[in-house]
Amino acid sequence: MIVALLPLWHFLLAGLSLAWERGTRGMMLLSLLLDATLVGVLFGQFAGGQTVSVVLGGWGKEVGIVLADDQYSLVFALLALLLGGAVVAYLWRKRLRPYFYMLLHLLFGSVFALLFARDLFNIYVIMELLTLTSFLLVGYEKRADQIWASLKYLVLASLGMGVYLLGVAIVYYHTGTLNLDLLSAVISSSGDVPQWVSLASSLLVTGVAVKSGIFMFSLWLPAAHATASPAISALLSGLVIKMGVVVLLRLALVFPLSLSLEVLSAVTGLLGIIYAIYTYDLKKMLAFHTLSQIGYLVLGIGIGSEIEIVGSLEYAVGHGLFKGLLFLAAGAAVQATGREDIPGLIARRSRIPLATRVGLLVGTMGIMGIPPLAGFCGKTLLSNGAESLVIQTILVLLSIGTVISFAKLIPLFRPERGSSSPWPEKVAYLILGVPILLFLPFSRLFLSASQWHQSFGVFPFVESLLVVGAGLLAHRFLRKHPLRLPKRIFHLEEAILIILVGFFLVFVLVWLG
Amino acid sequence: MMSINGVTIAIVLFGIGLLGLIIRRDLVIKLLALGLLNGSTILCLVSLNSLPGGVPPIIRGPSAVLYVDPLPQALVLSAIVINFAILALALVFVMLLVERYHTTDTQRLEHEIEREETS
Repeated sequence: MIVALLPLWHFLLAGLSLAWERGTRGMMLLSLLLDATLVGVLFGQFAGGQTVSVVLGGWGKEVGIVLADDQYSLVFALLALLLGGAVVAYLWRKRLRPYFYMLLHLLFGSVFALLFARDLFNIYVIMELLTLTSFLLVGYEKRADQIWASLKYLVLASLGMGVYLLGVAIVYYHTGTLNLDLLSAVISSSGDVPQWVSLASSLLVTGVAVKSGIFMFSLWLPAAHATASPAISALLSGLVIKMGVVVLLRLALVFPLSLSLEVLSAVTGLLGIIYAIYTYDLKKMLAFHTLSQIGYLVLGIGIGSEIEIVGSLEYAVGHGLFKGLLFLAAGAAVQATGREDIPGLIARRSRIPLATRVGLLVGTMGIMGIPPLAGFCGKTLLSNGAESLVIQTILVLLSIGTVISFAKLIPLFRPERGSSSPWPEKVAYLILGVPILLFLPFSRLFLSASQWHQSFGVFPFVESLLVVGAGLLAHRFLRKHPLRLPKRIFHLEEAILIILVGFFLVFVLVWLG
Repeated sequence: MMSINGVTIAIVLFGIGLLGLIIRRDLVIKLLALGLLNGSTILCLVSLNSLPGGVPPIIRGPSAVLYVDPLPQALVLSAIVINFAILALALVFVMLLVERYHTTDTQRLEHEIEREETS
């Protein structure tokens, strides 16, 4: 029953936090602690080889709403709890309306619901709920740029979900069920892939890609994630985007999507990293970077072997942790200096508190893949599992690009005396920073002993250090050659056109693959 | 030869909605086009899974009658409510923008907001 309880009671608390103004902050913390216990119970059951699965309302599996847990949902639930704890700590001293905590409860409720959801329509409803909640969260401070960014997000996400619903209609017409487990049985038994499967799956993928931060589809993302307030950006970039990736993973397990996801991951990774390299606004750079890092996750899902999916999951957790940490610390740094551009931040770096700079440093090291931090583990697993040379090259280019884009921040880390941060912020940095530092032993949980020893030998250490070195060298060269990249593609009309082009691309790729 | 049924109408409406979203510059008309587009997906879901000549799925007497599948109708109910919520919230945000910039033209909004960001 826990899988039904976890989402539902957040929705209950969402209503309650409007009614009881003074206790909202404590209630949020208590609810996260209780969530942690419940997720812990699920982990215990899972370790004992037992997965939970309920059908709501006493219907059959074909028509009822199935909620179930598996390794994917549990891992992401853990990430949600860590990020939630950090965000609540970060906001502990801030004065926020109860309305804000209502939205946070709705967000966590829908995140848990999506993790346990097992049918296409239930996923549609929860994704729409996530859209609405993050739309309101981005526009929470009601600044004009926030409102415009969130409005663009809403229009594009709603268009995407409309396309998704068309896919749902076709799937239901041909199979009479929307349950993913039953669907995978139907499709794998039908031998060669029927025509409708390529049309339906490309519609579904297009819809989900709009929500999950893939470059051609999620052109709303840079504006929305860069303008939202720091705690919200951390949640959106660390957690909400990953929910789209979870749905892509579930779709990839059912439909034949390998080729299309691999191509999309290369596109989003490389274009995202180019924009990140040439962006000098800290929060905008982090937002572009999210687009590129989604490339790693989707690549692992696209290849689809066991070790690749594990690598993808590890990188998803790692990325959630360090992107959350970077957004929180960046918010504090921007507040302390009053500047958002990186040169301005560097000029006034003595005003940035010490803990904030340490947080930025840990996040940067994690995202660059310096061993043995969080980014290193995921990247190593992904490149070990990849067999083709093209994919290896893309992975190396992505890693070098990551280092180049973050090398801009290095002057911030010169040792200097700084003022002190308030304690809630330090707690937030600790909650996210410690798992980043201790990720290598933690990743032992995902792998068998032999896989673990095979994956993390001397070679990956040397390789990732070489990548960092190459990236730093390339940064020295590229710094002298600034480049103006087209900004028009992020306008509403152009973004819709590009989604349309992306849909045809996906359709052709699914049809070929 | 294509006959006129719910699905073809839905495809045409989807196209009109998409065209409106892309070429009309007025934000309110864009939202109306979005509503049309989302409505067409609902029409598609219902009419694709309809059963001409079927009776409502309420069992009276012998069960050998051809019943309509009730699930698509149950599904689109939630979809309709969701689309209503999206349009309502989007219009609230459009109101906030209009109060500030006195325009619903997307190009001008984009321009004004970019100028404020760079200044």
